[in-house]
Amino acid sequence: MSEPPDDLRDLDRALRAVRFEPRASLGPEIAGRAARREPPRTRPLAPHGRGMRGLAAAAALAAGLAAVVLGLPVLRRGAPVTIDRCCYDLDGGGAADDGIRIVGHRDAEVQRLWIYEDQDRSGGLTPGDVVRLERGGAPALAETGTGGLVTREHCCVDFDGGGPADDGVLVIGVPPDRVLMAAIYERERRPAAGTPARFPLR
Amino acid sequence: MSAPADLPSPARHPGAAPDSACRGWYEAHGRAVYSYLRFHLSSADEAGDLTAEVFLRAVRAEERFDPARASARTWLFRIARNALLDHARRERRRQQVPLGALRDLQSDAPSPEERVLWEEEVGRLLSAVAGLGARDREIIGLRYGSGLDTREVAEILGVAEAAARTRLWRALARLREALRS
Repeated sequence: MSEPPDDLRDLDRALRAVRFEPRASLGPEIAGRAARREPPRTRPLAPHGRGMRGLAAAAALAAGLAAVVLGLPVLRRGAPVTIDRCCYDLDGGGAADDGIRIVGHRDAEVQRLWIYEDQDRSGGLTPGDVVRLERGGAPALAETGTGGLVTREHCCVDFDGGGPADDGVLVIGVPPDRVLMAAIYERERRPAAGTPARFPLR
Repeated sequence: MSAPADLPSPARHPGAAPDSACRGWYEAHGRAVYSYLRFHLSSADEAGDLTAEVFLRAVRAEERFDPARASARTWLFRIARNALLDHARRERRRQQVPLGALRDLQSDAPSPEERVLWEEEVGRLLSAVAGLGARDREIIGLRYGSGLDTREVAEILGVAEAAARTRLWRALARLREALRS
């Protein structure tokens, strides 16, 4: 490969030195998702994606109108989805070996949530893992009056299947392995002028 | 630059389980794909999510891979490039996260202070890259983010190698000007 012009060599050298290292758990997580035959989260956009998105928006509008007019419950809400993300240090144990599985509606409420330790390194919740917390639709402390509570937070990932990586997870527990509460939140996309951003827990 | 190990081809692994094929691909090219995407994205989590997207798309598309038309490595990077373009279209109206936590940046710095200086330098470089036009960002990301050579970059872009080289040097010249200003 030919070298860059002399006046660009320093810049070329500096850029060559920039390398990023993915977290160690990313490979197992991807292999786990492939093993579960999980589809890509997003479909490739057509080259004329804008036009297609316009058609999709028109179709969604028509479907919304149909739902209002005909009262079709099936069109009011999509089917629940399962989102499984691994691996982070959520229990305070020091190792990035914890995952979070969420069942809920995209970009909406959570119905079930698990925090687990990915003991078999599969990158997802499997029978071989240890579940640290399981909860239903509303976040609440599993125990009260416990000392040594530590709050941990991880942001931002797509935890709710909405598409953008704009969700965080808040975990309260007692290190190294007790998890007493977990909730996800979405960073408010556009807070109104003059108002602080809100982070409702789900 | 050393010749890259090629992607394990599906034709060479008929009937392989998707996770084992995917694991092999990731081991061969995961870092390069991640680094390429990270060059364009402002957070490690976002780059990780999109890296997963690339490999899941590759698993889905492996039957369409034709080694006679392109090397497997460039095929994979075409998927990465398309995923990045799709991501950019979707995120167009979203607020940009400022460059900041470069916790995933590799560094040989012997001290924490030098590590901080290196992060500042890289942050400045990537901020300047982010301010360039889309074509300049694309070629700089392909060449330096992924570590591809100009022949492979040309193959992905569908242009002659000389044209890719010229485009790269022009993009670098504009980057140098941006850094000076």
